[in-house]
Amino acid sequence: MNGLQQIAAIAKREQKRMLQRGIYTFCMVIAPVVAFLFFTTLMGEGLPAELPAGVVDEDNTSTTREVIRNLDAFQQTNIIEHYPDVAAARKAMQRGKIYAFYYIPKGTTQLAISGKQPTVSFYTAASYLIPASLEYRDMKMMSEYASGAVGRATLYAKGYTEDQAMAVLQPIKMEMHAVNNPSLNYSVYLCNTILPGIIMLLIMQVSIYSIYVELKEETSKEWLAMADNDIVKALLGKLLPQIVTWSLMGLFCLSLLYGVWHFPLNSGIWPMVLNMFLLINASLALGVFFCGALPSLRWALSLATLWGVLSFPISGFSFPQMSFPAPLRGLSWLFPLRHYFLIYVDQALNGLPLYYSWLNIAIQIAFWALPVLVLGRLKKFLLEYHYTH
Amino acid sequence: MKWLKNMIEVWTYAMKNTLFDEGVVVFFVIVPLLYPLLYAYLYNNENVREVPTVVVDNSHSQLSREFTRRVDATADVEIVSHCQDMEEAKKMIHHRDAYCLIYIPKDFAKDVAEHRQTVVELYSDMSGILYYKAVYSSCTEVSLEMNKEIKAQLIPGATEQQISAFQYPIEYKYVPMFNTQSGFATFLIPAILMMIIQQTMVLGVGMMAGEEREEVRKHIASPYVIGKKPIEMLIGRSTVIFTIYAVISVYLVCIVPYLFDLVHIWHWQTLLAFMVPFITSCVFFSIALSSIAHDRESFIIMFVFISIPLLFASGISWPSSNIPIFWKGFSWLFPSTFGINGFVRITEMGATLADVQHELNVLWIQTIVYFIISYIVYKRTYGKQLWA
Repeated sequence: MNGLQQIAAIAKREQKRMLQRGIYTFCMVIAPVVAFLFFTTLMGEGLPAELPAGVVDEDNTSTTREVIRNLDAFQQTNIIEHYPDVAAARKAMQRGKIYAFYYIPKGTTQLAISGKQPTVSFYTAASYLIPASLEYRDMKMMSEYASGAVGRATLYAKGYTEDQAMAVLQPIKMEMHAVNNPSLNYSVYLCNTILPGIIMLLIMQVSIYSIYVELKEETSKEWLAMADNDIVKALLGKLLPQIVTWSLMGLFCLSLLYGVWHFPLNSGIWPMVLNMFLLINASLALGVFFCGALPSLRWALSLATLWGVLSFPISGFSFPQMSFPAPLRGLSWLFPLRHYFLIYVDQALNGLPLYYSWLNIAIQIAFWALPVLVLGRLKKFLLEYHYTH
Repeated sequence: MKWLKNMIEVWTYAMKNTLFDEGVVVFFVIVPLLYPLLYAYLYNNENVREVPTVVVDNSHSQLSREFTRRVDATADVEIVSHCQDMEEAKKMIHHRDAYCLIYIPKDFAKDVAEHRQTVVELYSDMSGILYYKAVYSSCTEVSLEMNKEIKAQLIPGATEQQISAFQYPIEYKYVPMFNTQSGFATFLIPAILMMIIQQTMVLGVGMMAGEEREEVRKHIASPYVIGKKPIEMLIGRSTVIFTIYAVISVYLVCIVPYLFDLVHIWHWQTLLAFMVPFITSCVFFSIALSSIAHDRESFIIMFVFISIPLLFASGISWPSSNIPIFWKGFSWLFPSTFGINGFVRITEMGATLADVQHELNVLWIQTIVYFIISYIVYKRTYGKQLWA
C-alpha cells in the first residue's frame, strides 16, 4: 500500500468508529446545531424591545401622564406598572420584575411652569447591563425631550421659528453613526463570534478524545501499525473525517449567519469561508499539540477545556481587549478564536481588502507548526504508554 | 442504626475516592479556585477607558479646538490623532489605530456664532458596542456643557440659575443602582460564579459515574458498595459532594467578591438560605444527569460547551423578558438559571429571601424532582445484585 492508500484506510477506520459511538454524533452534529439555533433564535429580535419598566408619578398631572405615555411608546421601554413610591419601585426591581423606573416628584409640573427648574430622575438596575443601558437611553431621551418641549413652548411664545428655537436650545448637536451595524443588533455583535467559538471548543475536545480513546482501549498500536508507525500518516488519516465533518458544520454556521439571518457580509462569502477553514484547522492543530505536549492525555483534555472556554472572553468580542491587563493582551495571540474574530471584523463587518488580515491569517496557519514540534513525543506516547485508571 | 453506619461508611469511602482522584479534584477544587481569579483579573478594569479616537476638524476654530480638547479630557475617550480628511481617518480605523471618529463640519463655529444649530458627526467601529457607548456618551456630555455656556452668552446678564432653568426647564438625574459604575466585572462575575458551581459539579460527578460504569463493564466493583441500599448510597454520596461544595461556595461567594471589590451587600442568613437549595439542586441534578455518562471522559466533551448557552439562557445578558418561551422552558431545567438570578439580586441588589421566593421555590422543586430521578437511577444500578 502506498501512503495515500494507508491514510484512506485509517480514515475509513476512523469514520466507522465515529459512526459507532454516539458521543461523536452528539458533539459534532447535534450539539453545534442546537447551539447555533439557540443563539440565533434567542437574539432573533436583534435589539431587545419592550423591556419591563416602572413609573412613580407623584405629580400625576396631564403633563406628567403624557410624558409617561410618550416613554411607553419608545421602542425599548414597556411601562408595566405604576408604583406609589420609590421604595415600592425599588422592591419591584429587587424582585426582578422591572429593569428601570422613572420618578416624577410631586409639584414637578407647577415648578416647571413657574420656571423653578424641578428635577425628575430615573433609576436602572445596572446589574443587568444590557436592558439597563437600553432603558437608560430611552429615559434620557425622554427627559431631554420633555425639557426641550417646555423650552420650545417658551421660545415659540416669544416668536422664534423652530430652527431658531433649536439653535438656542441645542446649539451643538451630536449625530451618531454605528458603522455597518446601524441598528446596534446584539445578535450580529455576539453570534458572529460565539457560534464559531462553539465549533472551536468542540474541535479541540473531540480531537483529543479521539486520540485518547485509542490509548484507553489499547488500540493505539493497531492504529499506528496501519500507517507503518508513521505518526504523520496516522494523524492525517484520523483527522481527515473530522476535518470534513467540521468543514460541513462550519459551512452550515456561515449559511445560517449570512444566508438565513442576513448579517452584514461586506466582503462577500469567500473570505469568511477561508476564515472558518483556518479556524477549524488551527483548533485541530492546537488539540494535537496539547496531546503531545502534556504528560497525560487526561491533562490535555483539561487544558483544551480551559483554553476553549477562555477563548470566549479573551477574543474580545464583548469586553474589548484594549481594556485587558497587558499580559492577557499578549496571551490572546495564542487563541485561534481571537484571530477569527479580527479577520471577521476586517472582512464580513467592515469589508476591507483581504490583505488587511494577512497577519491573522498567517498566525492561524502557523498554528500547524505546533503539532510538528511534538510529533516524536506523541508517537512514543502512543506506542509505549499503558492506560491506567 | 445500621443504615446510619452504612451511610457513614459510604460517605467516608466516597470522600476518600473523590479526594484521591486527580481528575475529579481538578473540577471540584482547582477550577473553582482558579477560574474566578482569572475572570476577575480579565475584567478588572470594569470599563473601557480612553478609546482611541481620531478627529477630522474642518472648522479649525477656537470653538472646535475647545470641543476636541474637552472630549480628550474625558475618561472614556482619547484623541490619538487629528486627520486632514475622512480618508486618512478611515485608514487609521482600518489599521485598528483608532476605533471612533469625530467629524466637525466646516461651518461649526460660524453656525454657533450666527445662532444656527450645528451637527457634529460621530462614527464608531462596531467590532465592540462599548466603543460606541464611550464616544457617544463622552461627546454628548461635552456638548451639553458647551451648549450651556453658549446659552449664557445669548442671555447677557443672566445668573447661573436662570441660564440653567432656561436650558433645562425640567432638570433630570440618572441613578444607576447596584452596579453604580455599570462595570463589566460586577455584571458578569456573579453569574460566572454560579455557573462554575453547577458545571464543575456536573463534570466531576459525571467523571466518577462514568468510571464506575467502566468498572462495572470490567466486572470490578468497589467493595464498600456491597451490602448498601440504594438510598444509603445516594445519601452518602450526595452528602460528600454537598460537603465539598459547601466549602468551595464559601470561597466563591464570600472571598472572591471581597478580593476583587465586587458589590456584595448580602446578609449572611439570606445568602445561606439561598445557597443551600442551590447547591442541593445542583447535587441531585448532577447525579441524575450522570446516569448517561458512558465513560470517564465523555462528560467533559459533552457538557463543557453548554455553559455558554446556559449563561445566556439565564437572562443575565440577553434580558429574560425577551427570551423566547421555548428556550425559557429549556432554561428551567437547570439550577443555574435560578441560581444566577437569585444570587445576583441578593448579593448586588440587596434582595431579601421574600424577593427571591420564586427562584427559591423552583430550586426546591428541582431538588425534589432530581432527587427522585437520582433515586430511580441508583435503584436500577445498585438494586438487586449488590444488596446482599
